[in-house]
Amino acid sequence: MDDDTIVCRCEEVTVGEIRKAIREGAIDVSGVKRRTRAGMGLCQGRTCEKIVTQILVEELGEPVSTLEPATVRTPVQPVTFGLLAKGSHDD
Amino acid sequence: MMTSAADVIVIGGGVIGSAIAYYLSQEGVKVSLIERGDIGSGTSSACDGNILAIDKVPGYDSQVTLKSQKLLAELIESLDYDIEYAQRGSVLVVEDENQEQVARDWFARQKEAGLPMRYLEGREVFEDEPLLARDVVGLVECASDASLNPMALVYGLVEASRSTGAMIHPFTEVTRILRDPVGSVCGVETTRGMMSADQVVLAAGVYTPALATTVGVAVPIRPRKGHILVAERSGRPARRKVQEFGYLLTKFGGTEGRRVEAEMDQYGIAMVFEPTEHGNFLIGSSREFVGFDRRSNHHVLSLMAKRALRFFPTIRDIHVIRSYAGLRPYTPDHLPIVSLVPTVPGLYVAAGHEGDGIGLAPITGKLISEMIVGKPTSIATEPLQLERFDK
Repeated sequence: MDDDTIVCRCEEVTVGEIRKAIREGAIDVSGVKRRTRAGMGLCQGRTCEKIVTQILVEELGEPVSTLEPATVRTPVQPVTFGLLAKGSHDD
Repeated sequence: MMTSAADVIVIGGGVIGSAIAYYLSQEGVKVSLIERGDIGSGTSSACDGNILAIDKVPGYDSQVTLKSQKLLAELIESLDYDIEYAQRGSVLVVEDENQEQVARDWFARQKEAGLPMRYLEGREVFEDEPLLARDVVGLVECASDASLNPMALVYGLVEASRSTGAMIHPFTEVTRILRDPVGSVCGVETTRGMMSADQVVLAAGVYTPALATTVGVAVPIRPRKGHILVAERSGRPARRKVQEFGYLLTKFGGTEGRRVEAEMDQYGIAMVFEPTEHGNFLIGSSREFVGFDRRSNHHVLSLMAKRALRFFPTIRDIHVIRSYAGLRPYTPDHLPIVSLVPTVPGLYVAAGHEGDGIGLAPITGKLISEMIVGKPTSIATEPLQLERFDK
């Protein structure tokens, strides 16, 4: 993959930025996320998490099975302030 | 195996430990920074990015923050990371007549302490922030307040430290502080072996007390949990940091002067709004003593959303995309501990910043480096000494 390719479309994070984060010590999806914002946007990594994982595997030379998955944060789906204030999970 | 290389070992790779490593490295001191997880993965990754003087007790507390704001503005230049620093000032919203007098007193005391303050009322309030609820009565502004991306600050400080020679040891947990036969610090025992140094700085936030007990030192820090909601990129209801004045009441433990349901006070809920440089905004806040549990509590999040709507009714249809909770290192007097430990020569504590760790990291790092290299300190440190809790 080219360094200029955008991996996280929500936050516009490139392959090169993800590789730099890994060189600086990220060893899992959460570590890449904290350093680059990949996965912090509206889709919360639904689109890019697999690609970030793939880059981690390539750069670290470790199998996917040893990588920690990203931390799942509530809400599972975006919910409006209005509904959340009513105590509702539904959108 | 005994690895010896460092003059100083810093325990904790959050914003405080990173700032200490940064300033010590600048002084030419050989530093080893040890972190049990990834760098910046604890409290510093679960907070907001405030550099606020407005919510500090007028006097020493606000002065120390002002110093830190100045240091931060200086150090940004030397960091390779874009920390998204924005100095737009911040405001406290005065909710009703009930809070007006205490808010005016607060304003006057902060102004007297030298902060760039303004009090806005009537039409000025809505000229400043047009989307605030129409029934609020005033704003207290501090023009020097700023915000930034806390994680970028941590990584920026760590990479700058590394480039000036600091050794970074992530995923290494300190299990014990070691002393020589005379009782002075001589190193630490970790999950990856022993490391030696004549000086050790404990900057482990909420985990500081457990490590301090390994050398018989009591540190009165408790984990205080706080939640944050993250909104999608959207039209933002305000251009800069906005907090309800009642936030000061939940911070300092008073509950009178705010007319809310008992549950809001029970979970320490107060509206805090922070725009990010990416077009999102954050909504806080809650304060609870519930041990080391970092999971989000849906009921608390729901109350926070409700409180946010009271001040910003127009955000009703904006989506919350994420939430998180962090453990803030609380001390009984709301000031951090930045101190040597008299009973254990060579040991220092830099922890207990509760919600002010990001803002006070620069001054904390600077003070510890000054204490270690024997320079006069940038500000008096008596109010930050560990011994104050013995009295």
